[in-house]
Amino acid sequence: MPVNENFVPKIQVFEPHRASLPPLIPYIKEFWTRRAFATELAKFNDKAEYLDSRLGKVWLVLNPLLLGFVYYLVVTIIRPGGTLPGLTRLDHLLIGLFTFYFAQNCVTAGALSITMGGRLILNQAFPRALLPFSCAIQAFQQFLPTIPVYIFILVAGKWAYPTTIVPGWTWHFLWIPFILICTGLTGFGLALVFATLNVYFRDTNKLLTYITRIWMYLSPVLWLPNSLRGHMKILLWVNPLGPVLNATSRVWVSGETLNKETLVGCVFWAGASILIGGYFFISRERDFAIRI
Amino acid sequence: MPEDLAIRIEDLSITYKVSLEAKRTLKNAVMRASMKQKQRTRTIEAIKHMTLDVPHGSVLGIVGSNGAGKSTLMRCIAGILSPTDGRVVVNGKISTLLALGVGFNPALSGRDNIILGGLASGLNMDEISNKTDEIADFAALPDGFIDLPVRTYSSGMYGRLSFAVAVSMTPDILLLDEALSAGDAAFKEKSFERMRQLCAEARTILIVSHALATVTDLCDTAIWMHKGQMLAKGKPDEIVDDYLKFLNVGSLPSNYEDM
Repeated sequence: MPVNENFVPKIQVFEPHRASLPPLIPYIKEFWTRRAFATELAKFNDKAEYLDSRLGKVWLVLNPLLLGFVYYLVVTIIRPGGTLPGLTRLDHLLIGLFTFYFAQNCVTAGALSITMGGRLILNQAFPRALLPFSCAIQAFQQFLPTIPVYIFILVAGKWAYPTTIVPGWTWHFLWIPFILICTGLTGFGLALVFATLNVYFRDTNKLLTYITRIWMYLSPVLWLPNSLRGHMKILLWVNPLGPVLNATSRVWVSGETLNKETLVGCVFWAGASILIGGYFFISRERDFAIRI
Repeated sequence: MPEDLAIRIEDLSITYKVSLEAKRTLKNAVMRASMKQKQRTRTIEAIKHMTLDVPHGSVLGIVGSNGAGKSTLMRCIAGILSPTDGRVVVNGKISTLLALGVGFNPALSGRDNIILGGLASGLNMDEISNKTDEIADFAALPDGFIDLPVRTYSSGMYGRLSFAVAVSMTPDILLLDEALSAGDAAFKEKSFERMRQLCAEARTILIVSHALATVTDLCDTAIWMHKGQMLAKGKPDEIVDDYLKFLNVGSLPSNYEDM
């Protein structure tokens, strides 16, 4: 039978591997070529998740909002008054919580993406990192509607309690995309680590429930970054989300610019998470089909 | 690799270890480490020293009992599983239909799942947009079903839609694992017709099937796999005859005993 003249040769060689990285350039090229799979998967998973719910996507906003009010009640009961005027403390808590949940959703959904995607893993060849990447996109899509809600609460809070601090327009808000990119990259990098661990140890996800809870208490969400004294300040730097949440509070609540330490911290944790998570995940992803 | 070959398999072996623990957990790992015990595993030799060349445009049937290594071989050619020894060289774009409905979300409509399944198979958005109607027509879904959730489909409709998505690609190499069992007799005939069309376009097709008539009808070459080894390669009729004798007698024919 004659060979099709339109046939474009594309040679692939599959050989034994040890725990090492596959050729990275073809991997990244294929990852980029197939990015539409991750974005559409995120879109459709989002659609499917809220298809049967009467309130639908309203839950995306209601969930963190209600949680924010619960935590606000808790912290104001523990420390009534505080140092911030009006509803500024609530504003700090809400934007911190929304940002934290963006990162947490990247990690928790990403951690399950490989073990839950068993049929895909067993039956299609594609860069496996697309699955946790799709979870990161979904987490970002779920974060976006919380921004107008936050702005509404900020304005309403100012109207009800005129002492509430509301930063006017400042060019420092241009840091917000940078903060979100760093948050997303940190979350995606950590998702790669936990997704790999979950393939090897199936109870990792249970442990993650407690890890994320402790992680939030150690992050500047329920407390203010400048409330730390002495050696406790290290919490802001050893925590992968410490710098981005510090930056979130500075820019969103106070309208300040980022200082050098915070900027370096954001870039460091985003880079370290992607590099460590990427290496850990990609060097082991060829084993996933056997271990699932 | 010679240009006329689509696939070259050189001394391929695939071995993997499976844990004998009911569930691999961190808790069990810590317990084992504290008691200085090793993990209990079993080594499976799924493929043993297999060598095979598949020319472009051939339709290769793979027969063998359960556990023969057929699906493992397909996954290795697709790049899903890595070889333990030897190597596989593939010359061309591969499409796989190793299971029905891969990438499908039952809560979503058929139309949404065509997009998801197509993207999972490696199509891009433009190709999918151009082919959505063609796929829906091929799947022969009743009126309006394309916009209903896939969980409302009968198993036949589900299988037909999955098959339609997989064969909508124009791969150089198509790997099929029991996929031709989708649908009723009329759809099977339509599937066969599509297979013949792909063959006429000089596509290379590998078919794993327990339905031996599929192998004799569609394939121009067949191999028989048994416990990870390729016992024989030849004309489909002869291979199927030998395999049927083995199934009836329960032991390997005398000419295979040395293998």
